[in-house]
Amino acid sequence: MIQAPVIEVRTVGMSFGNGTGARAVLTDISFDVVEGAFLCIVGPSGCGKTTLLRLLAGLLRTTTGVIRCHGEPVTVPSRDRAIIFQDYSKALLPWRTVANNVALALEACGVEEPERGAQVSALLRTMGLTRAADQYPSQLSGGMQQRVQIARCLAQRPRILLMDEPFGALDAITRQGLQDEVTRLALELGTTVVFITHDLEEAIYLGDHVIVLAANPGRIVERIEVGIARPRSQLATREDPRFLAHRHRLFDMLQDH
Amino acid sequence: MTRRLATIAGALAFVALLLGAWQLGALYGAISPIFFPSPVRTLEELAKQVADGRLWQPLGATTMRMLWGWFAASIAGVVIGAAIGLSRTAREYLEPMLEFLRPLPASAVIPVAVSFLGLSTQMSTAVIAFGSIWPVLLAAVHGFATVDPQLAEVSSSLCLTRWQRLWKIALPSAMPDILAGVRVGLGIALILAVVTEMQASLPGLGQNILLAQRSFKSPELYAGVVVLGMLGFIANQLILGIERRLLRWRALPE
Ligand SMILES: Nc1ncnc2c1ncn2[C@@H]1O[C@H](COP(=O)(O)OP(=O)(O)OP(=O)(O)O)[C@@H](O)[C@H]1O
Ligand SMILES: [Mg+2]
Repeated sequence: MIQAPVIEVRTVGMSFGNGTGARAVLTDISFDVVEGAFLCIVGPSGCGKTTLLRLLAGLLRTTTGVIRCHGEPVTVPSRDRAIIFQDYSKALLPWRTVANNVALALEACGVEEPERGAQVSALLRTMGLTRAADQYPSQLSGGMQQRVQIARCLAQRPRILLMDEPFGALDAITRQGLQDEVTRLALELGTTVVFITHDLEEAIYLGDHVIVLAANPGRIVERIEVGIARPRSQLATREDPRFLAHRHRLFDMLQDH
Repeated sequence: MTRRLATIAGALAFVALLLGAWQLGALYGAISPIFFPSPVRTLEELAKQVADGRLWQPLGATTMRMLWGWFAASIAGVVIGAAIGLSRTAREYLEPMLEFLRPLPASAVIPVAVSFLGLSTQMSTAVIAFGSIWPVLLAAVHGFATVDPQLAEVSSSLCLTRWQRLWKIALPSAMPDILAGVRVGLGIALILAVVTEMQASLPGLGQNILLAQRSFKSPELYAGVVVLGMLGFIANQLILGIERRLLRWRALPE
């Protein structure tokens, strides 16, 4: 059976500015993501990864081409698509405690007390934040702040999770822990994920598929199916011959462009 | 904590030193008691006013005058400031005018206010409100205009309504600016309360000070000045306390 794609990206182009000052940031981007799949997009800095994610979120409009989610053209944001921002320290409300930051998404969804409190507690438990519930974001480590942002996104019960280099600024141990948690949660909840990174190994480790972008203008230069079964393991998977083969190929790809 | 106590002790010691010098100067006739009574005389006068209750009415009148004008200015300042700050067009059109009006000394509008409202309490409230709105208004414009773009994207991706954005994102993020503006505004409100009382013969500490000066009752004059100083100090401390509570999240141990 051929599954209908959840996300369809069709010959999308994006430029900023107009007239002679216009600058193409993305050209001819096309891909599909099926329900529950984990797609990683990897590319050098400045190749338009964040721009692509903003387009998927509906925070920006495409200049050419079309993006459809669940068959509907994407023009504005929807709570169906949660976005995890690269800069977690700025994406949280500094004046709200951890629990109240998570509650923001529920307030947006119109969930009333006491239901809200119960859902917040459950989410905090899932993300291992129960003890930090009454702390403010500035009191937390980067990893904990990113957990809060993930909890807030899960609170809106999205069908699609868009993540922009979410673990780029974290130390290796914290990053690996969160990588495994996010893949486990996405699998459990059946959430479709588009995950952006500039780290090739992270892309292969996490993704069912990996798309490689090159810069100036941002375009797709390679797409692979990873084909390594889940659950994966930080040690064994990264030593798997298929993993290494992908790594070599994509590394060369990124070098050439 | 101990550092804070040390600072307070140091400040008090300095005040005591000044008062001591003043007292000695008065005692040995270096300064004329007619214009400049000794601190002991001033405090005696103050104690007498407290004891026979003469202090409370003018103190209450001036305090209420200051609070009403300031309160009206603060509410109006935040509302107008939000409207201007949230709209780029409004900012571009109105900011030059605000910059022109802001440095206008509020005492210069007293004659205008008097010609419209007479020598009345409304006149004084209007002048106080006009003078103390600027710090709040400009702070609110700045606060609402500089909501972090990342938080704006968070609001969009959560599909917050306009009202939710205003209430849950913009207002709290402008709050530090607003509170700072409101505190400066309160100081101005006190000054203008006193000035309008003197100008328009309205009851209160300002008028009492003026009358004491005219009848050469210098202890009474200085007692009034001391009370005004304390009033300003307490008002400022109250707002600082509110600030510390509302902005708890800003000064946190890492
Ligand atoms: N709003 C905008 N207006 C004009 N140019 C923009 C805008 N947003 C992004 N750009 C430009 O588009 C290009 C791609 O930016 P983008 O942030 O998408 O890159 P990125 O791949 O996410 O980079 P990084 O890995 O550093 O995050 C950059 O050259 C950037 O200057
Ligand atoms: Mg980026």
